[in-house]
Amino acid sequence: MAEKTSTWNRVALIAAMSKRAPKGSLNRTAIMKCAYLLQTIRNVPLGYHFTLYSYGPYDSDVLGDLDYAELLEAVTVKRVDHTGGYGYDIRAGAASDRIQQKATIFLQKYAEEIAWVLQEFGARSSAELELASTLVYADRETPVASQTISELVRKVRDVKPHFAEERILVEAKALQEKKLLKSVR
Amino acid sequence: MPDPHRTYEIRCPVHGFIRLNDWEKEIVSQPAFQRLRRVRQLAWTDYVYPGAMHTRFEHSLGVMHTATLLYDAIVRRSMPVLTSELAYNDEGLKRHRQLVRLAALLHDVGHGPFSHAAEELMPLKEDNTPYRHEHYSAALVRTHLRDVIENHALNANYDFKADDVAAILEGSSSARQALFWRELIDSQLDADRMDYLLRDSLHAGVQYGRFDLDRLIGTIVAIPGADGKGPRLGISEGGWHAAEALVLARYFMFTQVYFHKTRVAFDLHLQGALGNLLPNGRFPKPTANELADYVTWEDWKVLGLLSDGKGGDDGQRLSSRNHYREIFHTPESPNADDLDQLESVRSALGNLLVRDAEAEKSWYKTGKTDIPVISETRTKSVEPLSKFSSVVGNMKPIRQHLLYVRPEDCDAARTIRDNALGGASNG
Repeated sequence: MAEKTSTWNRVALIAAMSKRAPKGSLNRTAIMKCAYLLQTIRNVPLGYHFTLYSYGPYDSDVLGDLDYAELLEAVTVKRVDHTGGYGYDIRAGAASDRIQQKATIFLQKYAEEIAWVLQEFGARSSAELELASTLVYADRETPVASQTISELVRKVRDVKPHFAEERILVEAKALQEKKLLKSVR
Repeated sequence: MPDPHRTYEIRCPVHGFIRLNDWEKEIVSQPAFQRLRRVRQLAWTDYVYPGAMHTRFEHSLGVMHTATLLYDAIVRRSMPVLTSELAYNDEGLKRHRQLVRLAALLHDVGHGPFSHAAEELMPLKEDNTPYRHEHYSAALVRTHLRDVIENHALNANYDFKADDVAAILEGSSSARQALFWRELIDSQLDADRMDYLLRDSLHAGVQYGRFDLDRLIGTIVAIPGADGKGPRLGISEGGWHAAEALVLARYFMFTQVYFHKTRVAFDLHLQGALGNLLPNGRFPKPTANELADYVTWEDWKVLGLLSDGKGGDDGQRLSSRNHYREIFHTPESPNADDLDQLESVRSALGNLLVRDAEAEKSWYKTGKTDIPVISETRTKSVEPLSKFSSVVGNMKPIRQHLLYVRPEDCDAARTIRDNALGGASNG
């Protein structure tokens, strides 16, 4: 059977990632994509059901857990305006430590994975995270060592035509160098 | 010779006449789709709201109809975004209109008996996460429905493969550019939600669940991507009250209908009964050798088995409407202290506690909603709905827990519960 992850674990993960964010805070895209990358690449059993949208892998349950983390004061969520839109600044809340204590075993067991995702992806922009996570998603849809990196890039370009092919290729190569892609031969 | 350009109309209690082309009518006529006439939309909700006897069949038609209205409205209003950010031209948009209609029509074709209530009995995938009805929908599209999708005369104009439809349902990169429209099938602004809220409200006979669909259609837009992110669906500023009403409709339907304590009890009994009826306690997988067996599982089969006295204790309770009783509930949005209290009661009840329902695990859960709203001024600035609507901005996540005991244990359980609560009463 799959290892089950309780609500406490998922909320505590959001609290822990927010507290240890490289830039002192995360945004909603970072929470979403880091959860995806943790579950998909490092097999952290979060129990989310990510599917692909044009803005990358997504599961509304992640935002539901973030909302609950805010209610429990594990995090603070502040809306911030920027050119052409808005975002959210997510930081550790007053009850961050208390909530993390509810999931001590889980957080200790996956401490290395959490540190990894924050180091590799915690400081990246939303657009970069959308692109990287979409590449990983398209990679995992395809059998191991069954396509070239150009084929993977074209797939992602078809989903996200607003990205230049060269930019997708640069990101794909970076992921490949870190051995995070499985389908590329 | 049949005319492939003939159109048909089906009367819908929510939308009036729903139009189908000959291709869609042929799909609807397939046994895999007709099966939805025997899958109730809201399981055993009629035990609480007697009118709620409607099926996935009429809902599926309604989602196709609503998705089309939304699609046409977005194309009419958002051509610059669709052409510049998704590289669409007129021909591409015409093709994908039909693809969206097929995906919307077939999005629920894989539901098990009594819809979501059965989903707890889905088997596990290779990655140890459970299959969902969407996986069965995609599998049925690729098998039972492939021929009618790919070989109808009208498909000569589109050259769609069954995999094109399945890719949208699954959320696969092979959907390519059309993945954008997946938001019309499954998102906070999807046609599915808009249809089921209106339909469930109508059939349940409640005054909740209503909102101004026409205004939403009149204001839905494709919001340009910002800072290198992709485009997404939103609402132009004039429609934010309609979007607010959609969010509130969902909240009220959840609290008053979908997570009604007695309705939830019957979901739990159905799961228990199905666990008893299904070989190995799980549905067959959506694989080539098991899918044909899966589609035999629909409401009539389950009702027949229950009528024969099968399904164990839960089956008996469904047949006699002798359901478990809610003995304790947390607030809708429990804080850490509330959850500690829940643990105290749960622990004190011991073996008397027979079921534990959580709002977050409900298939009808409300989730986080913050629809992007774009201004109608030249700045075209984008703000979240929560900035416009103080009601939406102050909504809390619903994470209620309900604890159940057998009817015959109620008196003893109440005493234990009250002692655990220090004399306070609950439920």
